[in-house]
Amino acid sequence: MSEGNNSARAGGAENSGERLFNALADYLRLPLVSIARSAELGKQENAKQILSSIETSAASALRLIDDYLLAVKMNQGRLQLELEPIVLSSILYDSAHKLEKMAKAYNCVVKIDNPTRAQPILGHRASLLAALTSLGHVFIEAAAQQDTKDKAELTLATHNSKAGVVAGVFASLEGLSNQMFMQSKMLYGKARVPLHNLTSDSGVGVFVADTLFEAMSTRLRVAKHHNLNGLAATMLPSQQMSLV
Amino acid sequence: MQLLIIEPDGVLASLYKRALTSAGHQVNIYKGAQAAIESIDKNKPDLILVELNLPMHNGVEFLYELRSYPEWQYIPIIIHSFIGPEELSISESVKQHLGVVSHLYKPQTSLAKLIDAVGDFVPVA
Repeated sequence: MSEGNNSARAGGAENSGERLFNALADYLRLPLVSIARSAELGKQENAKQILSSIETSAASALRLIDDYLLAVKMNQGRLQLELEPIVLSSILYDSAHKLEKMAKAYNCVVKIDNPTRAQPILGHRASLLAALTSLGHVFIEAAAQQDTKDKAELTLATHNSKAGVVAGVFASLEGLSNQMFMQSKMLYGKARVPLHNLTSDSGVGVFVADTLFEAMSTRLRVAKHHNLNGLAATMLPSQQMSLV
Repeated sequence: MQLLIIEPDGVLASLYKRALTSAGHQVNIYKGAQAAIESIDKNKPDLILVELNLPMHNGVEFLYELRSYPEWQYIPIIIHSFIGPEELSISESVKQHLGVVSHLYKPQTSLAKLIDAVGDFVPVA
């Protein structure tokens, strides 16, 4: 029976890995088209700005591939997950730093809201950083696609809740609901635009993040942070740190 | 020519605007269908370029909505999209009815090819 369960789980993991790959491949056309057209324009115009744009597109595509590979390895049990106490502020700042160039390219501001009372949590540092950065990637594009003349804003935030510490990415976005999010988790890798209320592409960063959070025994869900909507996961506080 | 482009990605929008402006066209770009529809009243374009993968709205729905306004029925449309012609599940006759004069697949359409495709259309007086 355990063998059957293991093969069923492996089959499920392979299927979700394949869907994630489909969503990733679908998404990667966007940065690659940006790079190709930038290079074409750069031959005729001021190359410095164009080259910077090419660099940003290539870097964000490569980072997303790395996050996807980490998520797949976690999901297939090929990577040993070592949990450690993590101070979330360091993750938020590292993630904001990684998102900086892409945010600039999309005329988006990245903010951090990490109240000092947020407790350290037990997690896997690389996965948490990859998850928040992947989410941030999608939210930057989504915020920039809103029909508004204001500069787009994105907030990486944490807050305490009864269940634990909530960490996620938030913005002034409409159309996010748990129902839409649940539907999108059935559609990604099969439908072109599974998160149609959020972004016009495959939104693969959201599903990479969800896979990474799942490996840390939590899941992404729609959440609110003050008057902002977003996606977040709840993690258990680290008892180790709280005893110090 | 006065062009209206519906392009949700900011980086691509900037590239297309620069290329087409350099080619001598006046370009207005919108991220979504709603803003584009509202703008057509004020600045009637000679040609519309549209990405079908749009946030909140389906690009094909936009085409039907556009065609529901009699005064805009003769504005030609070029689909310039990540959805290729083979993937789009509408027939050539329906495309014609919707005013689609060309369907360009983004990954295989260079800026030069885009400029040529736009240049093939002369505005109706």
